[in-house]
Amino acid sequence: MRVAIVGGGLAGFVGYLTLVRGGVEPDAITVFSPELDPAAAWRRRAAAIRQTHMRSESDGHCLPTSFPGLAVREAARRRSLRPLVQSVCDRYHPTVGDFLEHVEAVGASSGWSERIAQTRVERVHAVRDGFELDGNGPFSHVLLATGHPGHALPAELRDDPRAVHSYEPHSYGESVCVVGAGLAAATEWLNALDAGANVTSVRRREPVRRPLNVPRPYLSKRGLRSFRRLEPAVRAALLRELLAPSYPAGTAWDAPLERARKEGRFRVEPSVNGADQVICATGFLRGYEHDRLLARLVADHGLATADGWIVLDPDATVPALTDRRRTLAVCGAAGQYAYPAADTLAGARFAGHAFLRRCRTR
Amino acid sequence: MSYTLRGRLESRLAALLPPLLAAVALASVLGTWWPVELAGVMVAALLALDLAYHPLLPYQPGWTALPLGLVEFGAVMGAVLALGIGAPLDIALALFAAGWLSAQVLGHGLLPVWRLSYAEDGGELGRAGLLVLGAVAVPFAVAGAIWWSNLPPVVHLPAGIIRGPLVVDRREHLVGSEGSVVLGGIVVRHSDVTIRNVRVVGGENGITVDGYRNVTLDRVSVRGATLDGIHVRNTAITIRGCAVDMRGARFGQGIDISFGAGYGESLVQGCRIVGGQQGILFDASNGMLRDNHVERTTLRAISMDEMSMGGIEDNTVSRANGVGIYCNDHSMCMVSGNSVTQTRADSAGGNRTRAGYGLVVDYEAEAELGENDFARNPARVGIFLGAQIARLEE
Repeated sequence: MRVAIVGGGLAGFVGYLTLVRGGVEPDAITVFSPELDPAAAWRRRAAAIRQTHMRSESDGHCLPTSFPGLAVREAARRRSLRPLVQSVCDRYHPTVGDFLEHVEAVGASSGWSERIAQTRVERVHAVRDGFELDGNGPFSHVLLATGHPGHALPAELRDDPRAVHSYEPHSYGESVCVVGAGLAAATEWLNALDAGANVTSVRRREPVRRPLNVPRPYLSKRGLRSFRRLEPAVRAALLRELLAPSYPAGTAWDAPLERARKEGRFRVEPSVNGADQVICATGFLRGYEHDRLLARLVADHGLATADGWIVLDPDATVPALTDRRRTLAVCGAAGQYAYPAADTLAGARFAGHAFLRRCRTR
Repeated sequence: MSYTLRGRLESRLAALLPPLLAAVALASVLGTWWPVELAGVMVAALLALDLAYHPLLPYQPGWTALPLGLVEFGAVMGAVLALGIGAPLDIALALFAAGWLSAQVLGHGLLPVWRLSYAEDGGELGRAGLLVLGAVAVPFAVAGAIWWSNLPPVVHLPAGIIRGPLVVDRREHLVGSEGSVVLGGIVVRHSDVTIRNVRVVGGENGITVDGYRNVTLDRVSVRGATLDGIHVRNTAITIRGCAVDMRGARFGQGIDISFGAGYGESLVQGCRIVGGQQGILFDASNGMLRDNHVERTTLRAISMDEMSMGGIEDNTVSRANGVGIYCNDHSMCMVSGNSVTQTRADSAGGNRTRAGYGLVVDYEAEAELGENDFARNPARVGIFLGAQIARLEE
């Protein structure tokens, strides 16, 4: 049995660790990735928005089991029960520094870098007992962890010299217009205010306030059962609803904004104004067609899709290319059709567990 | 965690395994049933609560373990008390605490490590869930089988006349059928005996129980006994739905339960007694006389005598001679909800206590009175020789 992971970001990293934990020989795993550091892309984005804490909670880590999470590790390190108490109250959010340290440590101890083939896979081709990846292989089981296909920029701002995507390195002008209403936008409001800027929030809809990317029941079978029973079109529509921009509730977010509003430094407007700088906190492009590998995969094999998502089975496998002998599974944002929170660490774990079951039993 | 219903139940059953095994071990060591009963109540109550939680808690944060634990403890202890399970509080608390702790350790630590997809499966354990179900069911199935195999044999009396006295000298359920009559009385000479739907005619005593435990008389009828209808000594007994006809018996009592103090509480409930010196006599015994109908007795209808202690509740007494209800000789009686009517005065010989009282409290006895109807008698309540009455605190 040969196993391949296409993509060496955090989702691929979690998939790899899950396979190893589940007894798959590391020698049997090849990870195709242009970068060695699994957190490279995430690190750049977090640095760009100056993120200090993770949105995810104690189980927002890369290990295959939800326990022990980062709260337990921090409690042990600090000899303090505080992280554990925060964790049971859903108030524990590890720092970005702690998380990256954890990724480095696990990466070093897991033999990750030895499994990397430093190349970007452009094409997946189904063969009799598996898949060829740009001529490499065949591999019996392949996990596609292609990551986000690129930053989403509103069409009207694409040629605006003032515009910068929030996930690209930037400083702040004297007046800043932040487009978007999710966590990155909220972080940018506070960053720009801290930098002394006057901030205008441009949004198409009021942001949803919730602790995690999706409502918690959708993280388990409890919410997923009804989700998966939906017809593809209805499911895709619900998915768009679930993935609407959101950020957590709490005074840490609201108090500085309220203060700035009273000082006349923060306001909400329906369209971009004449600010010095426009920060597009508009997230990522959505849809398989924006990812070259996935677009080719769909075209080459005539895969079913729904509103930009490849239609997947509940275990995140591609039904037309998965059978008794082989598995093609998708994780990360492209796997949201099977698991709405697929672009989170919990989602990567979900896909990793399902993929491991396939590898272990076939 | 967002539990599925199956996940919630399977995780709960897994958490209850350690206290269940402890209860089974305890029951084996002590040779008693209450640890298994306690574990059974815990399992039933907690699973019922899980069914109630499920629609209310689409997501259950870790901190809810504390308040839910308190609710669950209250529910379990309430059920234990309601079912009368004789478990010591400290052991009940220890078993519950073990179950709670086990739920936390398993749910937050061990199960997610053992089963990678535990969280996303909503607490479901996969095929292991069936094993857990089996592991919980087996002790109860074994306990049930032991209980079943130890049930006393059931003896059905055939229709027709059975000449007695009939002696019951082993554990058994003696069940009468339509038309079966025991002539000459029944003598119980073994513990753990139930007599149901049996008609007894004649005999010195209709039914005699002397010193044997755990005897139940259920819907028996007695007629024509020369001494007592039901004669109980040195034990506690349960008598329900009986009919005792003592008309023509000059000295006998309908039901005479004497010297039962120290053996537990007796219960006489739903019986109908006609005639005899005293309809129901509790002498040096403890227990409850409830919902009985007694009429036409020649001495008293219902008596608690000689340091007896108990309740006389919701009985109806009519046409008794001299005294309706009698609480005497250092007895402590709670008298409530009774209706005593048409008691006849019997004080022509000078005995002032027999002036047709609804209730007499005599010789240092203490009676607590609730709402009773003693109005339709020549006299309502008589208190004699240092006896006391007080209002019953309901």
